[in-house]
Amino acid sequence: MNKLLVSPSPHVHSPLSTQRLMLDVVIALLPATVVSVLFYGWRELMLVAVSIVACVGLEWLITRFLLKRKSTIADLSAVVTGLLLALNVPPTCPWWVIVIGAIFAVGVAKMTFGGLGQNTFNPAIAARVFLLVSFPAYMTDWTIPAGFIHTDAVSGATLLGKYAEGGIEAIQGTDYLHTLLFNIGGSAGEISAIALLAGFVYLLCRRVIKPWITLSIWGTVAVAGLLFWLINPGQYPDPVFCLLTGGVLLGSIFMATDYVTSPMSDWGGVVFGVGIGLLTVLIRYFGAYPEGVSFAILIMNAFVPLINKAFHQKKYGRA
Amino acid sequence: MMKTFKIGGVHPNDNKISRNCAIEVLPLPQTVFISMAQHLGAPAKPIVAVGDQVKAGQVIAEPGGFISAYVHSSVSGTVKSVAPRKDLSGNLMTHVEIAVEGDEWAEGIDLSDTLVTEIPTDKAETLKKIQMCGVVGLGGATFPAHVKLNPAPGCKAECLILNGAECEPFLTSDNRIMIEKSKEIVIGAAIMKMVLGGCPAVIGIEENKPEAISAMSKAVAELGYEGISVMKLKKKYPQGGEKQLINAVMKREVKSGGLPISVGAVVQNVATSLAVYEAVQKNKPLVTNTMTITGDCLPVEKQHNYLFRIGMPLSYIAEYAGGIPEGAAKIVSGGPMMGKAISNLDACTVKGSSSLLYLSEAFTKRKEASACIRCGKCADACPMGLEPFLLNKLAKNAMMDELEARSIQDCISCGCCQFTCPANIPLLDTINIAKGQVMGIMRARAAAAKAAAEAAKAAPQK
Repeated sequence: MNKLLVSPSPHVHSPLSTQRLMLDVVIALLPATVVSVLFYGWRELMLVAVSIVACVGLEWLITRFLLKRKSTIADLSAVVTGLLLALNVPPTCPWWVIVIGAIFAVGVAKMTFGGLGQNTFNPAIAARVFLLVSFPAYMTDWTIPAGFIHTDAVSGATLLGKYAEGGIEAIQGTDYLHTLLFNIGGSAGEISAIALLAGFVYLLCRRVIKPWITLSIWGTVAVAGLLFWLINPGQYPDPVFCLLTGGVLLGSIFMATDYVTSPMSDWGGVVFGVGIGLLTVLIRYFGAYPEGVSFAILIMNAFVPLINKAFHQKKYGRA
Repeated sequence: MMKTFKIGGVHPNDNKISRNCAIEVLPLPQTVFISMAQHLGAPAKPIVAVGDQVKAGQVIAEPGGFISAYVHSSVSGTVKSVAPRKDLSGNLMTHVEIAVEGDEWAEGIDLSDTLVTEIPTDKAETLKKIQMCGVVGLGGATFPAHVKLNPAPGCKAECLILNGAECEPFLTSDNRIMIEKSKEIVIGAAIMKMVLGGCPAVIGIEENKPEAISAMSKAVAELGYEGISVMKLKKKYPQGGEKQLINAVMKREVKSGGLPISVGAVVQNVATSLAVYEAVQKNKPLVTNTMTITGDCLPVEKQHNYLFRIGMPLSYIAEYAGGIPEGAAKIVSGGPMMGKAISNLDACTVKGSSSLLYLSEAFTKRKEASACIRCGKCADACPMGLEPFLLNKLAKNAMMDELEARSIQDCISCGCCQFTCPANIPLLDTINIAKGQVMGIMRARAAAAKAAAEAAKAAPQK
């Protein structure tokens, strides 16, 4: 008789794996990626490829030569970071700026803290903020390169940028339906709200994430936006504008829900989301930058250990 | 709206491949080895000696404590030895070895199929019969049934819950007895209901056993006892966990460290109900039970549900069923979620044996663990609302106080966390070890407090 396996229970495992979860995130990002390539052309595809290759390659180099342990690139988390990074920079961003971002994302924000699961800050967001502070000119160059849909490069500005510069008059008459479909101008991944929402629905259906963080960000941005708008509609934009512009959707669906850097409990997630929403609106209206989602997520990332201490799931028989 | 427990739970593929395999009676082997540890609590003390002639159903061991049970011979023959022998985990335990001669049963045992539907009315005598027949809970814990059916003064049973959930994948023995012995089970429920003072009885069955649900409903209707009903439960593991079942049926939660009776619940498995019927109405001690021979690498035509006698070597049963199948990498006694991997096929069946489960390497081999990604899926899966990722981390750092504060002692070892973990971290291994340590600390503290209180009492008053 052959040797038999003996181990404690359980003797069966669900089909769930880290790799599968990460693959699901990549799949959920595909609609947004495809739309941005359609609009911004081959160059955008090249940026995505450079970013992913840089992130994965760097993680492999670090595990292989620096840490001298088994490579972890098969878990696909570096692919997610690479893809998110590419979608979080302007389509005009030089490739070497992205490579620097990848080095910061994987090398500093992720691997320095001990790799996947140990990092305090979301690597892609950390890298985006690092690039925004280090290369502000490249990171806010919203020229729209020629893509497959329109073939001439035009100079654009984000809606939030217009608002920050020109006030409420500059954004009068914004067509929300158009914004929902293809909000040209902005980071590559922010182009289509519909594509991002499709990814959100996919993640929920696959039970990769729960909706609480995302919904509480939307709710807070909407409510805070509404309050400012009610106080002075001549100065502040309406809540729909607040929700559909900038990185709210991309950030709330894909970055704030990062397992590692978000709270574990449902109510903790709500607190986290409300914090991100509030900070986003405050930075937009009172900060030095036109957009605040990245900063808001990064700041709230730092509070996650505290939130985890304060909020726990409901226990059985401990009411 | 189908009933279910509220917190956590997982949905493993139920794999009830042997659901249609009618119960077959296993022929007698040449020798049986009857363990003295057939139940939760103190092992029984053998009262037979080498050379004694015994009959099937005769007492061969007496309870070794308050939480303990009588053990009876399952065969007739000669006692060959009373000696330590390895159980299925490889631990040594005293076994009574009996060479089988014929099949003669002790006097007064009714082996006929005639239904005895009249419910006795004497509680004390019925309880005594249940105790004398060595009936223990057959849902997994093998807790002596007469103890559970006799709540401490001040506790009142408000609901008898019959556990027919059979939420473990693969197992189908409860399903089969509910189909083939439905009336006996319902009579057993009526007896236990009487013993408990007439509280209502609810038979909880998971939705994936429609034949069992209809058979049991029919038996309840035909027998016409008052206050017994069948409840269809959602298919979700661990629906048959005692605390979860109470939550599903009664919408109550047993407080941490409390007993089910504290919320008025008494939970007994359907197989226990059958054993109660046989003990009280037929005078037949618990020496037989039903087990499933199944597995992912066992062809469906080789799957069986067997009526076995206690003390049959597992190797004998495996051989009779056609040998260990090609591709079996692990043999489990019990279900795949909470069963024990067998390291010793020479071990013998006990009252609570429920299966021989053959699992292939692809199905059961653990995958290499990777880093925790803090997805929180283990916490979502935990039916006790614990945070396994945190307990795992605290346990690795031996932070006993913090583990207790995080309620590790509430863990029911159901395996949902480890089943779910996308990083394949062996959460339950770590948690089980730490849970044992924490509970040891808690017991020692309680004992010290008790001793201090007694010393204070005994000290002369000034």
